[in-house]
Amino acid sequence: MTTTSAGRQAAPRSLSLVALLVAGLLCLPLAYVTYQALTAGSLVWGRLWSTRIPELLSNTAWLAVSVAAGTLVLGISLAWIVVRFDFVGRRVWEWALVLPLAVPSFVLAYVYTYLLGADGPIEQAWQAVAGPESHIFSPYSYAGATLVMTLATFPFVYLMARAALLNFNVSFEEVARACGASRLRTLFRVTLPLIRPAIVAGLSLAILYVVSDFGAVSLLRYQTLTYAVYQQITGRYDHAAASALSLLLVLFALTFLVTERWFRHRSRFFQTTGRYQVFVRKRCGPTGTLLITAYLVLVFGAAFGVPALLLIQWSLSAVAEGAVDARFFGFVWNSALLSGSAATFALLIGIPLAYLASRWPSRLNLLCVQAAYTGYVLPGPVAALALLVVFSHIAPFLYGTVVVLIVAYIVHFLPAGLQSMEPALQQVAPNLEEASRSLGFGMVPTLRKVTLPLVRGGFIAAWVLMFLQCMKELPATLLLRPVGFDTLAVRVWLEASEEYYELAAPSALLIILLTLPALLLLVSKDWRAA
Amino acid sequence: MIQPDPTSIDQSAQGREASAGGRTNRSSHKPVLELRHVTCAYEVGEVAISDISFSLFKGEILCLLGPSGCGKTTTLRAIAGFEAVASGEVYLEGQLASEPGLLVPTERRRVGMVFQEYALFPHLRVVENVAFGLHALPSARRAAQVESMIELVGLTGLEQRYPHELSGGQQQRVALARALAQNPVVLLLDEPFSNLDPDMASKMRADLHDLLRRTNTTAILVTHDHEEAFAMADRIAVLNNGRLEQMDTPEVIYHTPSTPFVADFVGQADFIPGMIENGKVLTEIGEFPNQENYPGGVKVVVMVRPDDVHIVPLENCEARIQARQFRGSENLYTIALPSGRVVHSSESSTSVYPVGTAVELQVIATHTVLFKQT
Repeated sequence: MTTTSAGRQAAPRSLSLVALLVAGLLCLPLAYVTYQALTAGSLVWGRLWSTRIPELLSNTAWLAVSVAAGTLVLGISLAWIVVRFDFVGRRVWEWALVLPLAVPSFVLAYVYTYLLGADGPIEQAWQAVAGPESHIFSPYSYAGATLVMTLATFPFVYLMARAALLNFNVSFEEVARACGASRLRTLFRVTLPLIRPAIVAGLSLAILYVVSDFGAVSLLRYQTLTYAVYQQITGRYDHAAASALSLLLVLFALTFLVTERWFRHRSRFFQTTGRYQVFVRKRCGPTGTLLITAYLVLVFGAAFGVPALLLIQWSLSAVAEGAVDARFFGFVWNSALLSGSAATFALLIGIPLAYLASRWPSRLNLLCVQAAYTGYVLPGPVAALALLVVFSHIAPFLYGTVVVLIVAYIVHFLPAGLQSMEPALQQVAPNLEEASRSLGFGMVPTLRKVTLPLVRGGFIAAWVLMFLQCMKELPATLLLRPVGFDTLAVRVWLEASEEYYELAAPSALLIILLTLPALLLLVSKDWRAA
Repeated sequence: MIQPDPTSIDQSAQGREASAGGRTNRSSHKPVLELRHVTCAYEVGEVAISDISFSLFKGEILCLLGPSGCGKTTTLRAIAGFEAVASGEVYLEGQLASEPGLLVPTERRRVGMVFQEYALFPHLRVVENVAFGLHALPSARRAAQVESMIELVGLTGLEQRYPHELSGGQQQRVALARALAQNPVVLLLDEPFSNLDPDMASKMRADLHDLLRRTNTTAILVTHDHEEAFAMADRIAVLNNGRLEQMDTPEVIYHTPSTPFVADFVGQADFIPGMIENGKVLTEIGEFPNQENYPGGVKVVVMVRPDDVHIVPLENCEARIQARQFRGSENLYTIALPSGRVVHSSESSTSVYPVGTAVELQVIATHTVLFKQT
């Protein structure tokens, strides 16, 4: 094992072996899909190229473009408002604008199929204004998908832009003004270019979300690559074609993941060090406050307020009709059991990987962690497809059990957990462990007595994050669940597909309620109130 | 207002004045910058600076000196137009720039600004940083101006670098070039040397002084370091708690401070209590002339600096050496007086006496500084 300094002790062989094994297993699905796709033969590829691929690629790309534009406008303007202005209720709004992240895209989509549907409340309101024959755009359209996905993803840009603006050194703006630049020139030549890395990082997250989303586009019947992979698996049982599409999708997703990482790295380098000038918020008069509040109410209402109220109302009538019965609690139990075990196993698997990478950052160990991140570029249906194929070859007797599903969750969501675990471990200075070793504790006791207590917070956050992701997971669950084994997310999707709005509501509401506290906990970790 | 030492103005303004047909006295010239009774408040009721007045003439270098929180940076920001004034006026080149209800935006003031941390745009190269304020110029003239600025600050060859590829000193030069490129009315520098290591800082100080003189730039420099102020300034304004305590040449500030605060802030000082008797000041270290003509019986303190106090070992004297601090070029002695009070004495680096030696004090001061005891 190569180490950075000559005198350092080498990593224990057993740990390295475990990490290597885990990394190999985590890579297997992607490798399998790639192999399948590349050996699919020119016939399959030719057929896909002439029929599906151009449409799917352009659909996916156009959705990504329009959502990108929408999230940019919403995210930056909202961040700018809460950072640069002072008005009544600013602190509350600052937090409230994160809440849409607690609403899974398929829940938002299902609410909007009702709101924007024919004879829905918005169309009725519009007809009262514009005449009984007028129509608004259908939710089952490019515009509908754009609206829903924008509302679901703008907080990514908002959060990143807000953090960047809070950390922004106002001296840059002042020096620009002293150089004779107007406010507008200062904004476009100095402020926006300087927070650009953060914005691009947030934007990449949003696009990655859009590209790999299944729930919303399937409910809105908008054909994207991810949706098509799912259809290839369920409708046509065509694994070769599904793999081919998956490979395209993975390449697509990889582009944005790399972009995000690259710009996140750059944004660190853009931060100025040392003392800097703190800005003064501009206080708003009554008119300003009114305008700002109206804008905030509109965005927040559309992305969270109205959906939440509707779900509560529907849930209440569902309860009144006795829909929340033993069967419902069975779904809750299924969800909790699956998500809990997946998160726990993922955490245990992640520890050796993250530990090795942070303590012995040799090329091999770093490669192991990178391998674990492949799950990021595996959208749900792709992960499911890969495991379907892998398990049917290696261990057919496990096929159709919850084990396959749990493995799919781990592959899919371990990256999210690792993102929380790695920094937690990196923040523990190695000399703390060395001090423990010098006091006579071995490697494992040191880990137990020193390292783990110090990283507990980051690890709990990782567990919670993975648990919630699993709760919301839809496509892999739909494809891999044992017969009759439904989760909350699956119930929402099934009922919503049939337009049983009230029956879907209790499950959707429960997911949101479970997600909310954890979301606020996660956000508050990096939150800085100025 | 206290008039500055005319000799310093002579040197700085000579080149320009020669073409203007000779110059007699400065009062015939309009100040480049004038503050009249300026008060700034961050929050209502909380005053950051209060009733600050001074004028600055072409080519002059003024240091705003004071402890942190004294209002020196606020004064600078009020001049730059980043802070509105609660009362009073700021005039730039005779034009009203700030008064209550009026704040000419910074971009229309033509002030050059060098921040403590330089605030170089990290996304722009050196040339682009320097050219930033010149967007109104046609590109050929802009390029020429940028080139001459870069040459002026000695950064030729580094034009295509990004700020993070430069050393601290080089970054500061870029910041200077950027601020000077637009030929500012007044150059404002906020603690420009505090991010440099001491060796680099003293070199940059000398270079900056030379540069400001060569370009005949009017400058205000904020600092908390009195040695820096002495080295750079034509005049020093000492601020404390938002008020202007004294404004004068470095020599006057050092030798005849007008308040105990100034006396203490611009160098080591001991304050010896005394009493006026028979037109003299009586203290335990000797008699001093009653320069302020206080009536008899008034209690005063006399300020003495270590370089005014000379010690001679002499038996039977009651003053004793309590400590010696070797400083390389001098020995700084702490002398305990019979009353328990201490006074400091600066001796040559070769005069070494052991701790406990009885000494006689000889106070040789060209001017006595007296303050009324409060």
